Amino acid sequence: MIRRPIPHWLAITLGVCGVVVMLLAYSFLSARQTGKNENQKVIPGWQTFKQGASRLVRPQGRTDSPKPSMLVTDIKATYWRLFLGVSVGVGLSITMGVAMGAYRFIESLLAPVMSFLAKIPPTAMLPIYFVLVGTDQKMFTAMVALGVFFTMSQSIYQAIAGEVKTVAIDKAYTLGASDAEIIYEVIWKQILPSVLDNIRLQIGPAMIFLLAAEMLVGGEGMGFRIRMESRVLDMSVVYIYLAILGFTGLMADYFLLWLRRKLCPWCIR
Amino acid sequence: MSLNNLKEKMNMRTLGISVGLAMLLAVGCSGEKAKSTGGSSSSAASGPAPKFTLAWSEYPSWSVFGVADELGLLDKDAGKQGELEKKWNVDVVLKGVDYDTCIQLYGSGEADAVCITNMDILGSAPSRNSVAIFPTSTSVGGDACVTAGIDSLEALKGKKTYGLARSVSQYAFERILTARKLNPQDYPFESMDPQAAATAVQSGSDTVKSIMVWNPFVMDTLKKVAGSKRLFDSAEIPEEIIDMVVMSKDSLSKDGSQRFARCLMEAFYSINQRMADPKTGDETLVAIGAKFSNLQLADMKEVVTQTKFYKTPAEGLALYRDGKFQKTTMPAVVEFCVSNKIVEGNATVGFDKGDSQLNFNTALLQGLVDGVDPK
Repeated sequence: MIRRPIPHWLAITLGVCGVVVMLLAYSFLSARQTGKNENQKVIPGWQTFKQGASRLVRPQGRTDSPKPSMLVTDIKATYWRLFLGVSVGVGLSITMGVAMGAYRFIESLLAPVMSFLAKIPPTAMLPIYFVLVGTDQKMFTAMVALGVFFTMSQSIYQAIAGEVKTVAIDKAYTLGASDAEIIYEVIWKQILPSVLDNIRLQIGPAMIFLLAAEMLVGGEGMGFRIRMESRVLDMSVVYIYLAILGFTGLMADYFLLWLRRKLCPWCIR
Repeated sequence: MSLNNLKEKMNMRTLGISVGLAMLLAVGCSGEKAKSTGGSSSSAASGPAPKFTLAWSEYPSWSVFGVADELGLLDKDAGKQGELEKKWNVDVVLKGVDYDTCIQLYGSGEADAVCITNMDILGSAPSRNSVAIFPTSTSVGGDACVTAGIDSLEALKGKKTYGLARSVSQYAFERILTARKLNPQDYPFESMDPQAAATAVQSGSDTVKSIMVWNPFVMDTLKKVAGSKRLFDSAEIPEEIIDMVVMSKDSLSKDGSQRFARCLMEAFYSINQRMADPKTGDETLVAIGAKFSNLQLADMKEVVTQTKFYKTPAEGLALYRDGKFQKTTMPAVVEFCVSNKIVEGNATVGFDKGDSQLNFNTALLQGLVDGVDPK
């Protein structure tokens, strides 16, 4: 029957089964490819992953003055860029989204421009980023931030238009609230769950923008490494990175869902 | 047979006199040859045409395969045959994709052959043993260090040069500095996609003032950035960066594979003849330019001076048999790949050695020169 609840133990077992099926499917693909060519590293077997992993954690540089391993360098670079970019992007989106949702003047001025820019992949505008912010850390941050910003500020202002009823605002005015109070007490508190959902949905695209940028620019980061290793067909390293990316994405998802339950226990969806 | 020996001799003799004349003769002679082998094409195995795939990307001597498709010599689609495919009873599938994608198609076994450089193939050869069947061109200026506002190597010291790490760009950069008795350690190299690097310089970036890239980005940047300069280029290391067609060893053991190789060679050399022929030269260059960054005739004429084609099988053979290429160049390229962790130090390169991971095969080219039909 549609939507009939299932026991908790069954839900967990099914989740585990999904993972097992995924791993089995991979093993099958890998074995099939190895059957065609035993030296292949395109869909590496589990043994090859060990080699890839050991290469990843091996210190770089000369033995007398070792530098951090590829894994450490890349993870640090990528996640720091992602964190900076998403933080700036989310901060800007909230400010802009709320401003647009609260004041018709700002909405009319900016909504069409935002909607237009939201449809353009930031990685396609590389030259503009080069001119505006150069090629270093600032560029990655700006690319992720703006990639998030245009879409997310739109979602926030639409959430306000849809969820915050005018009658609630009128009531607050009647009770003597100032504009600032209405924005914080009425609008912000009501859209907080939507904001958290939106952050969750934006992490995927942000990661894509960042990786695409890293594949083109810079000598470290997960995108850079994926491109370099793909060029020499050592996919063991590439897939380990993809697994890390997938896993952290999953963790971020769970964290934000948890945060929403904590911050907005009244909102059940 | 005697006709082909004659052709060899004629080519040799005319080399010193006039290049134009030599080209005309080559065209005339091989026209004859096409007729003579045309008669024996019945020796090509009958039955269904076996399918082989070549992955190529836009580059002067590789876009030739796209042109061969346009001219009907080859048909890029599976199940359809061009002129040469019918002659040799094979089905050649051409996949024109991005360079990195070519490498992955080849590595995953989706392509039997690939257009690739003598350096990049070392990354694939350990996992898919490979045979270099013929060289298409070499870079003599097609890879260059282009600077804006930096006028000498002295001034470049300590400043970052941007280019794709672990590619021919980095190889040429370090190799030329070493050849000039300079220490590459003094010249930092930072990875950036060549197109992105060119874009950065052209957009007047404050940080990106020196780039090591390949064509069309070299020419394009020099043209668009006032005061930009070609600081040094691959003309200093001729016949070191080689563009070639490589086939996997397992594909080459399949039935009809040698006819496929012959098919690619004949397509390549006949387009070279068209380029050399004054009647069709310009239009052929324009056709190649259309598949190489949309370059026009004037630019293409410049491109082919910086990317020197191996116009005949004899020229290709000469490279593969060259002592310097065998004993100095390839070992140096391998060493570069090992020190840059492109290979794990186990890539073996051989010349007509079947058991090496990358084998430069001369038999297929020699077969074409001798006019012996492939199996």
